[in-house]
Amino acid sequence: MRIERDRPDDEIPTSSMADIAFLLIVFFMVTTTFTATRGLDFALPEDDDNPPVIEKEESVLIEIFPGGNLVVDQNPMELGEIIEYLKPKLERNPKKPVIIRPDIATEYRYMVEVYDELRQGEEHGLSEPINISVPTQREIQSFWY
Amino acid sequence: MKLKASIEHKPNIPTASMADIAFLLIIFFMLTITFEVDKTQVQLPKTTLRYEIPKKAAYVSVDPNGRIRVSDGNSQSSLVSAADEVLSMAATVIATDPQKTFVVKSDGDVPWEKVDEVLDALKRAKVRDLRLLSDQRTVDDL
Repeated sequence: MRIERDRPDDEIPTSSMADIAFLLIVFFMVTTTFTATRGLDFALPEDDDNPPVIEKEESVLIEIFPGGNLVVDQNPMELGEIIEYLKPKLERNPKKPVIIRPDIATEYRYMVEVYDELRQGEEHGLSEPINISVPTQREIQSFWY
Repeated sequence: MKLKASIEHKPNIPTASMADIAFLLIIFFMLTITFEVDKTQVQLPKTTLRYEIPKKAAYVSVDPNGRIRVSDGNSQSSLVSAADEVLSMAATVIATDPQKTFVVKSDGDVPWEKVDEVLDALKRAKVRDLRLLSDQRTVDDL
């Protein structure tokens, strides 16, 4: 007669493994936040102690007023017209500094808009990146003449 | 004649690979997770050009009310009362890592005066790598 023996189960119980794993997934999914981690790089001068002396006449001055009104070298202008205005000047002197000077009450986004537009100079047919300078109020008071 | 009883199939869903899939997903989430050091709610300005900002960058945020928060990239951002405190924080960070990336996260409607103070403080602290956090400009914004 064959004796039926109670054989011990040789399997590792893995049924709860998926539960634990999915619990961890849910935790990571809930805590993960996809944030905007992209932006514009903002050029800073290498050495602040010796700022290059820029003659006012040699540069292009872009003033930004509250509401986004632009005045380029004393001429009111739209954002899309700036590059066209700069083209002949920069063809003669590609290193010509372009100074962005927002009014203190101007909303920050208008400054970023102008900066973004100037950074795309090469896409608009310029041979070199524009030499953009954004002096701070302190620098304007110290070095502006 | 005695009929042989049909072989009984035990109903069973194969779940052995379930854990593998789940752990794969866990590893994905663990690698991609970045804990936000600055949770300030702002309406970022929109730009066409946007470049990836390195992880562990230090943050200086300006909220719509002009309040400034700073974070060295490791700890949560904390409120500062004046831009001078941004200078001291930035100088400390730059002293340990001169190439540290600083990110300015400012609301688009903040007056330039506020952002100007922050940028001036970062310039004085000799920050070399500065980024302006922005949202993507789409054709609808034009």
